[in-house]
Amino acid sequence: MTNARNLSIPGGLTGALLGLVAELALEEITGMEIVNGVLAVIGAGFGLVRIDQRIYEATVNLIKRVPVEPNSDYRDVLEQIDEMSLELPELRESFVKLIQAGIQAQKA
Amino acid sequence: MVMVGLNSLTKLFRKTIGPRIEALGIFPSRYYLNRTLEALDVDDIDEAVRLITLARTGQQQNSRWRLVCQQVIFRCRVLASIHEKQIERIKTELELFGKAQDMRERYLSLQKTEGKAREVLRNYERRLLDQLAGSSGASPPS
Repeated sequence: MTNARNLSIPGGLTGALLGLVAELALEEITGMEIVNGVLAVIGAGFGLVRIDQRIYEATVNLIKRVPVEPNSDYRDVLEQIDEMSLELPELRESFVKLIQAGIQAQKA
Repeated sequence: MVMVGLNSLTKLFRKTIGPRIEALGIFPSRYYLNRTLEALDVDDIDEAVRLITLARTGQQQNSRWRLVCQQVIFRCRVLASIHEKQIERIKTELELFGKAQDMRERYLSLQKTEGKAREVLRNYERRLLDQLAGSSGASPPS
């Protein structure tokens, strides 16, 4: 007794084409960006797992987004960060660690 | 097709019942912290304050919660300082160019809007400082 497999290349291609058409049609009708959506889902899941990394990135981002006046030097910026992080001990500690790491990286 | 389904379901969830379920505070703290950071990235402070408050449930002693909460407060202060500078600029321009009635009204209206934005941010800051003080058992800042 033998199990004969009937494979059809045109059938497979037609199926793939139909799947693609259905996906594109859904994207057109619903206006949903599929790839971005999936990436967002993966990103969110990844973010939940790597929350500490995410918090670290957000801390760096916070410093980067502090507005700097054209005529101010690094001491002004440090003073500004220091002033704005009053009553925020853990964040201040993170900033200090980041700055120290930056200084050590420059020395190395 | 699985991708389409997953994407559609996620979007549908976020737009319909997602906020209601989120508001119950039943998700893990990490979820709310992650969403708070997402909101902070795009300066959606209102959403960030809402989410960090939700993450607070049972997490007062959590160091991650405290750090993210402080990040939101810091951003509130930075944005409030930007509005403060804008108010100062408008004040200077008002003195220089605000002699005509229509210009004066325009400057005053701008000044009022900036003042409101600054006040909203300060309220958020006060609210979060209170939560932070509550989490460490210290007295709220004056």
